[in-house]
Amino acid sequence: MKKRIYFLITLLSVLLLSGCGGAADTEDSAGQADTASAGEEPFKESSSDTKQTLTVAMELAYPPFEMRDEAGDAAGISADLMKAFGEYAGYDIQIENTAWDGLIPSLQTGAADIVISSMTITEERQNLIDFSDPYANALLAVLAGADSGISSVEDLNQAGKVLAVKSGSTGHMYAEKNLPEAELLVLPDESACVTEVAQGRADGFIYDQLTIYRNWQNNLDTTTAIFIPFQDVEKWGIAVQKGNQKLLDELNAFLVDFQANGGYEELTEKYLAEEKKAFDELGFQWFFDMKK
Amino acid sequence: MKHLKQLFWISDNNGQHKKISRPAALFNLLLVAALWVALFWFSLRTIQIRLDFTFLGEFRIRIWNGFLATLGLSLFSLIFSLLIGILSAAGQSSSVLFIRFFCSVYVKFIRGTPLIMQIYLFFYIVGTAWGVSNRFIAGVLILSIFEGAYIAEIIRGSLLSLEESQLEAARAVGFSRRQTWRFVILPQMITRTLPALTGQFASIIKDSSLLSIIAVIELTQTMREISAVNFRLFECYLFLGILYLCLTLPVSLISERLERRFQYEN
Repeated sequence: MKKRIYFLITLLSVLLLSGCGGAADTEDSAGQADTASAGEEPFKESSSDTKQTLTVAMELAYPPFEMRDEAGDAAGISADLMKAFGEYAGYDIQIENTAWDGLIPSLQTGAADIVISSMTITEERQNLIDFSDPYANALLAVLAGADSGISSVEDLNQAGKVLAVKSGSTGHMYAEKNLPEAELLVLPDESACVTEVAQGRADGFIYDQLTIYRNWQNNLDTTTAIFIPFQDVEKWGIAVQKGNQKLLDELNAFLVDFQANGGYEELTEKYLAEEKKAFDELGFQWFFDMKK
Repeated sequence: MKHLKQLFWISDNNGQHKKISRPAALFNLLLVAALWVALFWFSLRTIQIRLDFTFLGEFRIRIWNGFLATLGLSLFSLIFSLLIGILSAAGQSSSVLFIRFFCSVYVKFIRGTPLIMQIYLFFYIVGTAWGVSNRFIAGVLILSIFEGAYIAEIIRGSLLSLEESQLEAARAVGFSRRQTWRFVILPQMITRTLPALTGQFASIIKDSSLLSIIAVIELTQTMREISAVNFRLFECYLFLGILYLCLTLPVSLISERLERRFQYEN
């Protein structure tokens, strides 16, 4: 009898192990076949009377692009842009606040249809999701401690210099690639990075120009802002699940239309009038100035 | 048929101590494992995620270092939090009112606020003011202060559970204060608190993961840094969970065993 029980156990173990191994194989083919059809399917309904709802994920932590209004609802340039897209293409837009690290996974898992969160188009990300044509661009800058002795970005590229970056941001990627000598301090949010610099624990924080400009204005005694010459311009794109060409085409057509109708000037006037002036004086390229 | 039944049910040996046979335990554990794997595999399939763990080899040294850092962080924190816990448990029954209130305010504040808030406040305000610049040391201090409050409650609880009659009995046989502690209170305290304290160690290991928000390079932070660069979020966190289980599972098994052993002794 005991033998029979052990036989059952062995059988179960073998089934379990083969299940694990087999999972990887079948998933490969099934996964690919399914994503291809999943891209088309949801949009067949859009011709009917009831509007289809699109879930848009963004991290509401980067005013004035992604933020909350006084009532706590999603607002800002990205939110306005998506509402305009909804009107243009006939969708109901539902915005979901999602932490930065969860944005790409939310597309991969289908929890969101669109991600617009001031996300730079990079090759690594393009392996996982698809991007629209760029709708804005941004450059990096450094917030340096007033006593850090940093006067250019190259000063950070030496042993013993501590550089704060936000986990997964393009500043993080830039530092990994261009500043190998600096000691990286990978933190989960911008305010922690700024605090590190203001308190002198870190020598610098590398992030986009607007954030750096604002935090410098808030910490004039303890920090200085340094702008980085000769960098690749970061282009922001709207992301969809890999293979969702239909939605991508609609987004691209909308962006052309929005540009032609002066939509970006309206958004600038509404949210960033002051910063536009400061950027013009300093000679920085504006977010929606895509010519260069 | 009777044997097959034994595979699924606990056999009742005429009211004697109920025993689970080894093959039955193994069989049922496997059954549970199969269910979990199937459930997870099905979920992954439904959302069409393909897992690829090949990158782990590339980062093995960093992951191993992170693993050791978490272990070190937890061990040091265990020692210090035990110290803090014993002191504040004793302090709460002190006859000096200031000490009594100091300890009970400490325990209530720490237990009533989230660890994430304590980490930020202690590190950026207290830590900066007192010049604690080493993140590992800061991490050990913060975690010790946090866990100390929980350990204080474990110790205080078991102190309160000692029956008054035992102390009276000790007095009746003529034990001095010191002898009462040595022969009556301490042995019982140890048997009553040890299982719970071991369980608390598992909590320390898990709680240490939150120190990643101030960039203490431990296991969770290492995995976050890796996933931030290669975007393999699911794989990183799955593997992270397995590594934490490697640490916490033995600890909780020991805790269970201690609990059973001391139960028999009582």
